[in-house]
Amino acid sequence: MNPNLKTTLKYLLLAAVFVYPLFSFANEYVLHVMVLIMIYMVLAMGLNIIPGFCGLLDLGYVGFYGIGAYTAGLLTIHFGLSFWVIVPLAALNGAIWGVLLGAPTLRLTGDYFAIVTFGFSELVVLFLTNEIWLTRGPLGLPGIDPVIIDFSWLSTLIHPQWDWYWEFIGPQPYFYLGLFLVALVYVIMGRMEDSRLGRAWFAIREDSIAASSCGVNLLTYKVIGFAISAAIGAVAGAFLARWTMFLSPDMFKFWESFLILCMVVLGGLGNFKGSLVGAAILIALGEVLRIILPALNLPTETRFLAYGMIMVLMMRFKPMGFFPAIATQSRKNPILIKLKKDLGSS
Amino acid sequence: MFEQQLINGLTLGMIYALIAVGYTMVYGVIQLINFAHGEIFMLSAFLAVTFITVFGLPIYVVIVLTMGCCALIGVMLDIFAYRPLRQSPRLAALITAIGMSIFLQNLAMIIWGSRPKPFVQDALPAFLRTTALTVGDANISWLQMSIFGTASMLMIALFLIINKTRVGTAMRALSQNRTGAALMGINVNRVISFTFALGSAMGAVAGIMVAIYYNTLYPTMGYVAGVKAFAAAVLGGIGSVPGAMIGGIVLGIAEALGAGYISSLYRDGIAYAVMIAVIIFRPSGILGKSTVEKV
Repeated sequence: MNPNLKTTLKYLLLAAVFVYPLFSFANEYVLHVMVLIMIYMVLAMGLNIIPGFCGLLDLGYVGFYGIGAYTAGLLTIHFGLSFWVIVPLAALNGAIWGVLLGAPTLRLTGDYFAIVTFGFSELVVLFLTNEIWLTRGPLGLPGIDPVIIDFSWLSTLIHPQWDWYWEFIGPQPYFYLGLFLVALVYVIMGRMEDSRLGRAWFAIREDSIAASSCGVNLLTYKVIGFAISAAIGAVAGAFLARWTMFLSPDMFKFWESFLILCMVVLGGLGNFKGSLVGAAILIALGEVLRIILPALNLPTETRFLAYGMIMVLMMRFKPMGFFPAIATQSRKNPILIKLKKDLGSS
Repeated sequence: MFEQQLINGLTLGMIYALIAVGYTMVYGVIQLINFAHGEIFMLSAFLAVTFITVFGLPIYVVIVLTMGCCALIGVMLDIFAYRPLRQSPRLAALITAIGMSIFLQNLAMIIWGSRPKPFVQDALPAFLRTTALTVGDANISWLQMSIFGTASMLMIALFLIINKTRVGTAMRALSQNRTGAALMGINVNRVISFTFALGSAMGAVAGIMVAIYYNTLYPTMGYVAGVKAFAAAVLGGIGSVPGAMIGGIVLGIAEALGAGYISSLYRDGIAYAVMIAVIIFRPSGILGKSTVEKV
């Protein structure tokens, strides 16, 4: 296909997705799934830092997601804080736990790290289930306020009749808020990947001895990566809390970690753009299987059979994912493109 | 009360130790956490029940048959999932292991359903539920006695296999230096497969024991038991077989006492907390070698 046409089609498709919620025929269920996809896009991009950039297996990502969600939920219920204050606080709380967990364990080999993160996320779920005084345990945390944009203090200053106060009702506003979050995390990831930080992570992943010889402090950079990844997970959790307006410990079981990891693997380790595609594919697949499986008389949990198989096959045949990040930059290099054209025509 | 908890913990610990040796042997030989090991433990319980209900075999035959089947599953797991990735980065093998674990778990869910099932009580000798002896306040049932007996016997057999046979020597050689072992004419792949078979057979016995002891089996049982057994392996020092045995027993007792005296709600949490604490403060475990990355 003509590359120009391909790009145009890509942008047209994106634009169609952007304006879809504005139409009256927009289906509420489809919008719901799209918002869910965006939450998982944020999570998958955040998780990609650890196995993708640093080359360490993180099996407990959902722990930070849960911490972020409950931080947001509890702060909303008890203190009525605004969403815009809660997101940084949740991110901070996630990052603090990331440092607390990462600093002692990241000096060990990667295998130990994998299992410690797993244990940590299980402990988070146990804590959320059992500390009923704080989290209401298995009953869950209902009645979290939706997101509110409140500029009434500003509008009354300008004009007493104006009231800039919006409460998010229905899926449309959440769709655009989710889009904003995905875009924000996307930009941050892009900047980090090309920064000193990102290069240090890649160096650690490729050869930690060489990286260390070149003056990269392994522990510091790994802990920074883990903290940033945890913070992104917590942000996704905060969004989830204010979107579903209900939290329960069951939402943060190990399965979720596995699902997010599967998205990262499908999209390609170390390729955060691929994570977006991975998230979209797996959530859509999950929704389809949710309809097909009961028709076949199987419990819906068995969809993880497919996810397990995907991971094994990906690692066996396409360890860099379907969208490998390698050398895309050089392929776009105009000199190379021209050279290829010249060689092809001759 | 205390004696009873101690006995219960010891029983549990013996079972954990049996699973933990599977983790620790595989780790010793190919430095891979075989996450699917817990699933083999779960499959053994389901296979045993299937053999009893479908073929009506006696329990002793079933145990041996299940050990064989699980050993075969372990070898197949190695050949199809892990062997192609021997030269890949560690991360690829780890992700494959976790993927296989989830796959097997859901396969069991499709075959046998997700609801917990009771073990077939008719197949068991009736005396197992009766009390064997009473020590102080504690009653030890024949079931617990037979778990102690079987587990100890298997441990001794394992110890002899590893230390006194040719293939055991090859396993130890492999865990020290794989290239060196290959140069000495050891068939590396065959020894690795044998390690998987041995570990899986041990796990199979543990699976049947747990199913009988708690009188229940369900597809997700391998996941919690697997992680706890891994915690036991870490506690004892990963890669060390006697360490795994000691770690399992210590963890079982800690869990029973913790559940009895601290909080039964955090029963599962005790294993995780012990594991994280060991990894942070003494990563080499009780008997292990130091594994801190020296980069």
